[in-house]
Amino acid sequence: MDDEYLSYEEEEENEEVDYDYDDHYSEDVGQVITKEEAPTSQVITKEALVAAQKQVLVRVMELLSVKENQARTLLIYYQWDVDKLFCLFADQGKDRLFSCAGLTAFDPCLVSSTRMMVMNCCDICMEDDLPSDVMTRMECGHSFCNGCWKEHFIVRINEGESKRIKCMAHKCNAICDEDVVRRLVSPELAKKFERFLIESYVEDNRMVKWCPSTPHCGNAIRKIKDDDGEVECLCGLQFCFSCLSESHSPCSCLMWKLWTKKCADESETVNWITVNTKLCPKCTKPISKSEGCNLMTCKCGQHFCWLCGEATGVSHTWTTIDGHSCGRYKDDKVRQMERAKRDLDRYTHYHYRYKAHTDSLKLEDKLRKNVLEKAVLNSERKSEEVFTNYIWVTDGVNRLFRSRRILSYSYVFAYYMFGEELFKDEMSDKEREIKKNLFEDQQQQLECNVERLSKVLEEPFDEYEFMKAVDMRRQLNNLSALVDNICKQMYECIENELLGPIQFGNHNIAPYRSKGIEQATEFCADICKSSS
Amino acid sequence: MQASSRARLFKEYKEVQREKVADPDIQLVCDDTNIFKWTALIKGPSETPYEGGVFQLAFAVPEHYPLQPPQVRFLTKIFHPNVHFKTGEICLDILKNAWSPAWTLQSVCRAIIALMAHPEADSPLNCDSGNLLRSGDVRGFNSMARMYTRLAAMPKKG
Repeated sequence: MDDEYLSYEEEEENEEVDYDYDDHYSEDVGQVITKEEAPTSQVITKEALVAAQKQVLVRVMELLSVKENQARTLLIYYQWDVDKLFCLFADQGKDRLFSCAGLTAFDPCLVSSTRMMVMNCCDICMEDDLPSDVMTRMECGHSFCNGCWKEHFIVRINEGESKRIKCMAHKCNAICDEDVVRRLVSPELAKKFERFLIESYVEDNRMVKWCPSTPHCGNAIRKIKDDDGEVECLCGLQFCFSCLSESHSPCSCLMWKLWTKKCADESETVNWITVNTKLCPKCTKPISKSEGCNLMTCKCGQHFCWLCGEATGVSHTWTTIDGHSCGRYKDDKVRQMERAKRDLDRYTHYHYRYKAHTDSLKLEDKLRKNVLEKAVLNSERKSEEVFTNYIWVTDGVNRLFRSRRILSYSYVFAYYMFGEELFKDEMSDKEREIKKNLFEDQQQQLECNVERLSKVLEEPFDEYEFMKAVDMRRQLNNLSALVDNICKQMYECIENELLGPIQFGNHNIAPYRSKGIEQATEFCADICKSSS
Repeated sequence: MQASSRARLFKEYKEVQREKVADPDIQLVCDDTNIFKWTALIKGPSETPYEGGVFQLAFAVPEHYPLQPPQVRFLTKIFHPNVHFKTGEICLDILKNAWSPAWTLQSVCRAIIALMAHPEADSPLNCDSGNLLRSGDVRGFNSMARMYTRLAAMPKKG
């Protein structure tokens, strides 16, 4: 723990402080690019989209010595995966690569012999004797009149097929030259066409995704390294790059999806109703029993037995009703109810913890603003270093934030990890119990230290004497390092002990980052110009 | 937009008049009042259970024709894996995603005749018919198809 404490100090010294008070998380500014970690993601703003695309295009154009439109057609077909493209190029050769993508090498001798060339007739509108200057031949060799091409392009673009407009000839797989398309359609439509081509870079690309902010901030995020990370866009939104929902580590995407669905729909309410109520046999309204004997009387006047739900006469008691045997056996219904009740209990427990921490998180947002305000005001009044450089306070608040969030999601993780929904057959009950205890130990440690951290941060440090403030700083830094370490251990435990042995392999968890979710750096168009 | 499709349909109309003798299996007729509505009478191909039958097709031509395919359906009841038994809808790739503007109504008819001779049992619109073929019961299929051809596609005797 000692060396971590040190590294913490180092960062503080290097830090340039530039805080603003609005909602923007200005924590860790300048820390994203540290020596040991290169940035793994970039923000591509709306304006830089063209340049970002161009960068990839140029690479392909240079390596395969093709024109820009050909490079784009190739990349759209191979989903902007340049490495895959080059692999296929090496394996299968240029011809195969091209023909799959719908590019044909122009072969003049193949074309000159066809009837169309001599006759200048268009097979679409069936006009004969057209002047040759209104005919356009695509690279595949098929030639039709400009009017028909234009209509074809208009229909295809309006149908949203801009990215792959094929030649009009039957069974011809060739993609039309984008320059011809631009030349023949109206400027407005050409613009629309252009937009589709540019957006393909994001929409067909596994490594680039739109920021899921609403309203949309216009940015796209590019992952440089293919991990299951979470990112923060320039607009401040933090999200999971894999599933594009809010960041949810240490939950896997699947767990998070199940959880949000579970919380959103009313299945639990329905569950409660089945467990705690009976339908009146006459008016079928659900009745809940609050006290008294098992002879129920509904508002509608009907009497029934609470245990079996069947209608009875008013004189029903356990001993006198003739042939009323519902107490004698347990049928499936009863066991089903017991299970539903247990499931509900379990869900309620985890949901309550999850919710409590999420709510704290919201409250601590206020605390954070408050602390930052105090810190700045204070630094103007006092001259000692501990007051002027208040980074230790803000670091503490940010640590609180990050770990509180992890804590709240850890309950969702536990709900699925030790529940029956996902891993029922993956471990024995005994194993499950051991693992559960292990995890809960860590969770408890985290919980208690997060609360301590929260408590220390509430101290009125702006009113403190020098010595007291130094003491608080020491406490904060230690606690912060401790919490950081516990988080780290928790993630290691998840990776090695809990999910590691499980073969069911689609639970990728965004790795723990001590400094919080990575802020994507802005993609800079100039860099690509100089490199290309 | 409509002007170009109209012009093209008019060309096809003239072509049809000229080709009538050339292809006796297809008789394409344009609606008197609406050039976007056509009907066709096609002869069931020989050596199939449809032989001897005459099947009526209805064409609805979209305004973007020939950039978009015409909608075609059987008006005559037919027992065929790729034709919907109730609506007469046809499942044929060139009428959907493999359409090319170079096709004409005449060539669509030819493609449909070819489909009658070579049913695709693996993508059936008429499951009963598809299942017969897939299970190898060619005789069963043939007699069913034959029966419906007799019932619906041949002139009634007497």
